[in-house]
Amino acid sequence: MQNRIVVTGIGVVTSIGTGREQFWENLLAGRCGISAVESFDTGAYGVHCGAEVKGFDASRHLRRLDAARLGRASQFAAAAARLALADAGLEPESLDPLRAGVSLGTTSGEPQEVERFDDSYVAKELDKVGAEFIGRYPCHHISAHVAEELGFAGVNMMFPTACAAGNYAIAHAFDVLRAGRADLMLAGGSDAFSRITYTGFARLGAVAPERCQPFDRNRKGMIPGEGAGVLVLEPLKRARARGGRVYAEVAGYGLSCDAHHMTAAHPEGDGAARAMRQALDESRARPEEVSYISAHGTGTTTNDRLETIAVKRLFREHAYRVPVSSVKSMLGHTMGAASAIEAAVCALAVRDNRIPPTINLEEPDPECDLDYVPNRAREHMVSVAMNNAYAFGGNNASLVLRKCEV
Amino acid sequence: MSTDEIRAAVKESIASIANLDAGEIGDSASYKEDLQLDSLTILEIAVDAEYKFQVKIPDEELSNIRTVDDTVRIVEQYQSAPVIAAA
Amino acid sequence: MKSVVITGAGVVSSLGDTPAALHAALCEGRSGIGPVELFDTAGLGCPLGGEVKGFDAQKYLGKRNLRPLDRTSRLVASAAQSALDASGWTAEMRAEREVGLVLGTMFCSVHTISEFDRRALEAGPAYASPMDFSNTVINAAAGQTAILHDLRGVNTTISTGVTSGLQAIAYAADLIRGGRARALLAGGADELCFESFYGFDRAGLLCRSNGHEGHYPIPFDARRNGSTLGEGAALLMLEDAASARERGARVLAEVAGCGSGYDCSRSRDERRAVEAVAHSMRFAMYDAMLRPYEVECLSASANGSPRGDRREARAVAEVFGGYARSMPVMAIKAMLGETLGASGAMQAVAALETMRGGVLPGIPQLEQFEEDFPLALAGPDRQSVDVSNALVNSVGFDGHCCSVVLAKCDE
Repeated sequence: MQNRIVVTGIGVVTSIGTGREQFWENLLAGRCGISAVESFDTGAYGVHCGAEVKGFDASRHLRRLDAARLGRASQFAAAAARLALADAGLEPESLDPLRAGVSLGTTSGEPQEVERFDDSYVAKELDKVGAEFIGRYPCHHISAHVAEELGFAGVNMMFPTACAAGNYAIAHAFDVLRAGRADLMLAGGSDAFSRITYTGFARLGAVAPERCQPFDRNRKGMIPGEGAGVLVLEPLKRARARGGRVYAEVAGYGLSCDAHHMTAAHPEGDGAARAMRQALDESRARPEEVSYISAHGTGTTTNDRLETIAVKRLFREHAYRVPVSSVKSMLGHTMGAASAIEAAVCALAVRDNRIPPTINLEEPDPECDLDYVPNRAREHMVSVAMNNAYAFGGNNASLVLRKCEV
Repeated sequence: MSTDEIRAAVKESIASIANLDAGEIGDSASYKEDLQLDSLTILEIAVDAEYKFQVKIPDEELSNIRTVDDTVRIVEQYQSAPVIAAA
Repeated sequence: MKSVVITGAGVVSSLGDTPAALHAALCEGRSGIGPVELFDTAGLGCPLGGEVKGFDAQKYLGKRNLRPLDRTSRLVASAAQSALDASGWTAEMRAEREVGLVLGTMFCSVHTISEFDRRALEAGPAYASPMDFSNTVINAAAGQTAILHDLRGVNTTISTGVTSGLQAIAYAADLIRGGRARALLAGGADELCFESFYGFDRAGLLCRSNGHEGHYPIPFDARRNGSTLGEGAALLMLEDAASARERGARVLAEVAGCGSGYDCSRSRDERRAVEAVAHSMRFAMYDAMLRPYEVECLSASANGSPRGDRREARAVAEVFGGYARSMPVMAIKAMLGETLGASGAMQAVAALETMRGGVLPGIPQLEQFEEDFPLALAGPDRQSVDVSNALVNSVGFDGHCCSVVLAKCDE
C-alpha cells in the first residue's frame, strides 16, 4: 500500500505578500502585485511593468545563512522554506537530517550573477568577477542554500525546467516520499527578477504594457515577476502521528513534452492533454471530478487560447463546468516559482473551498469561453484541484491535489 | 545602400538563419507560405535586419512583414527615419 | 518494481563519438585535453581544456536546420541520435510510442545567456536575438533535442552540478521502475565556453602548469593541483526490461542500483563531506543488493582536485575497507577533463564498454600516492579485467554526490 503524501506547510514570497496568510488573503481579495519595474532601468524598453517583490528582507527569515551572501533567488527560496516549516509546526532540528530533503525548480537560477559578469565584460573590467561567480551562479546553489540553511542532508535536487519547474520539483518530492527515501521534503520553486528574462520576453513582443489579462479578448501579454513558493510534503502517516495540519493530498502528476516548438505550444494541446490525463489517471480521478483548475494562464494571446483548447480536449463538456483561474493576473509570471505558488494556491483552495479569481477579465474572448472565475474570488467546494504549467521547450507538467480526511 | 544591396543582405541573413540557399529565395517569397518559416524565425530575421541596418522597426509594424519585399521596403523606410538612440 | 536495462548509448566527446572509440582511446591512455581553441584563454591561469575539436553536429543530424540550436543543444541532439540508432528506436517507433529524455547539465546555456545579454547591453534591448532567447532557458537543450527527435515522453532537466548526468540516469531509472515511463534517454551534457571556464579559473579549481611535466590533471596523484574542464554529451537509452525484451532489443547491462548523498556543510566540514560520498555509494549498493566486496570495479569521479579526490578516496576506504586494495578503478576525467553535467554519463558509457570488452583504462601519469590511499590497483596502465558490474561515482565540488551500479544481465 503506497504512502499517501500530503501538504502540511506552505511558505511563499510574492509581490502581494510574504507568508501564507497574508498572501492568500490578498489573492482572494484580487490584490495585484504589478507595478513599474524598479530593479533596473527600463528606459530603452517599450514596456515597463513587472511584478517585483518590493522591500523584501531575507534576514528576517534566515537563521543560519547570511542573506548578503546569497543570490536573490536563494534568498526567496530559503525564506519560503523557513516559512513553510514554521507553517507546518516543525523545527528543522527535530528532523533526521538524512531523511529531510529539498527539491526545487527555477528558470533563471541567479540571474544577477551572470548579469554582473556581463556588465563587467562589456565594461572591459572582467577581473572584477572573481570566485563568487561559480560559487553563486549555477542554479543548484538554490536548493543547496536551502539545505544549508536548514541542515538537511537528504535528497537535494534542482529542476531548471523553466516555467513548469515548480511542478517538476513537487512531482519529484512526491516520488521520493512514496519510495520511502525521505520522511519530509521541501518542494517548490524560486526565481528572481531578471533583466535577461525581461529583455527576452519584451523582444518577443510577449510583455503587456500595464496589466495581465489572462483569457480576456484584449489581452496583450504576460508580465514578468519573481518570488518563491515552498511546500512541506510528508507521508500522511507521519503527519497524523505528529498531529500536523493537512492542507491537501498530492494525488498524482503527469509530465510530457510537445516536441513541437521551443516557444509555442502544440496547436492541438496534445502534450498538455497527455500530462493532465496522466495526472488524473494516477490520482484515480475522472475529469468530471475536478473541481478547480489553476491555469498556466500567462495572458499571452497564444498561451491562453491553446490552453483552452487543451482543457477542452481532455475535459470535453465538463470543461464548461470546471472553474479555471489564473493567479498570474495578480502575481505576473513568477517563472520557476509559478507552478509552486500555484500548487500552494490549490492546496489552500482545497482547504478553504475558495477559489481565487482571474482579475482584469473584462471582455470575454470567444475562443476562450470557459468559466475563468472573473474578477471575484468564489466559494466553491474544491475536492480535486489541478495545477497546470507549460514551459519553453514544450515541457508540460500537471499536478493534482485532493481533499484529505485526516 | 541601394535597394538591390539591401535585398541581397536580407537574403543572406535569411539564408543563414533559416539554413536556406540565398539564391533560391525569391524577392517576393512569403516567409510563412513559401519559405515555411515559423514565427520565431520570422521575428529573428526582422531583428537581424534591424541590427544589421541599424534601424528601429516599431513593434506594431513587425506583424506586417510577411515577405522578403516587405523586409526590404521597411528597412529602406526606417533607414531614412531618425534612429531612436539605444540605451 | 520493474527492472531497468540499457539498450544503447551515444556519446560526443573529445576522444571520440562512439562508445567504442571513446573507450579505445581511454585504454590507449590518449588525452582529449589540449590548448583550448574555442575561445581565447589569454589572461587565464589554465590554457587547457577537453574540447571536442571539429565538432559538426550536421554529421550526426543530417540536413536539418541546426541554426536555432546552440552548441550544448547540438551536443545533446547528436548524442541522442547516436543513442537512438544504437538502441534501434527508429523515427517510426518514436512516432508511435513516447520516448522521453532526462538531461543533466550544470550550465546548459550560460554562453547563450551571456551572448544574449551582452548584445542587449551593447546594442540595446531592441536588438536582442529572439532565437537566442529561446535557448537561454536551462532546459533548452532537452527541448531542442525533443523537437528534433520527436521525443514526446517525460522531458526533464536536472541541474545538480557535476553530478547532474549521473543523477539524470538515476531519476530516469526511478521513473521506469515506478512504471511512469518505458523508454527514456538519460545522461548529461555541458559545453566548453568562456563564461564557465573563466569562473572555474578564477575560483582556482583548474590546474596550472607549474613546472610539472606530462599531462594534467592526474586524479589521485599526490602531485595533483586541480582539474581541467572538458565538454561533451553522453546519453543512455534506458528501458523497462520487459518491453525491451518484447521488442527484441539488445541489452547492454542493467541499472542495478542508484544512490545519492548530500553534504549540507558544502565542503566546509570534511567529515560530513566524506560521509556524503560514503552514503551515496552504500545506498547504491544496497539498492543493487550488493555487498561491498561484490563490487567488481569502480569508476571514480576523481578529477585532479586536491580535496575532492581525497574525499572520494576516504569514502572508498570507509565503505570498502581492505577490499579497496583489490578493486580495479578507473578515473576517466584524467583524459576527458571535468565534463561537468556530462561526466557521470560519460563514466557510465566507459564502464559499459569496460564490462563488455574486458579492458579497464589506466590513469595516465598516476605515479605518486598519498600514504593512506586505499585503491592499490590504481595506476597508469590499462588492465585486463573480467567484470560483470561497476560502481560509478559522481562527486560534486560542493555537496552533491551520486552513485549508480551497472551490472551485466543474465540473458
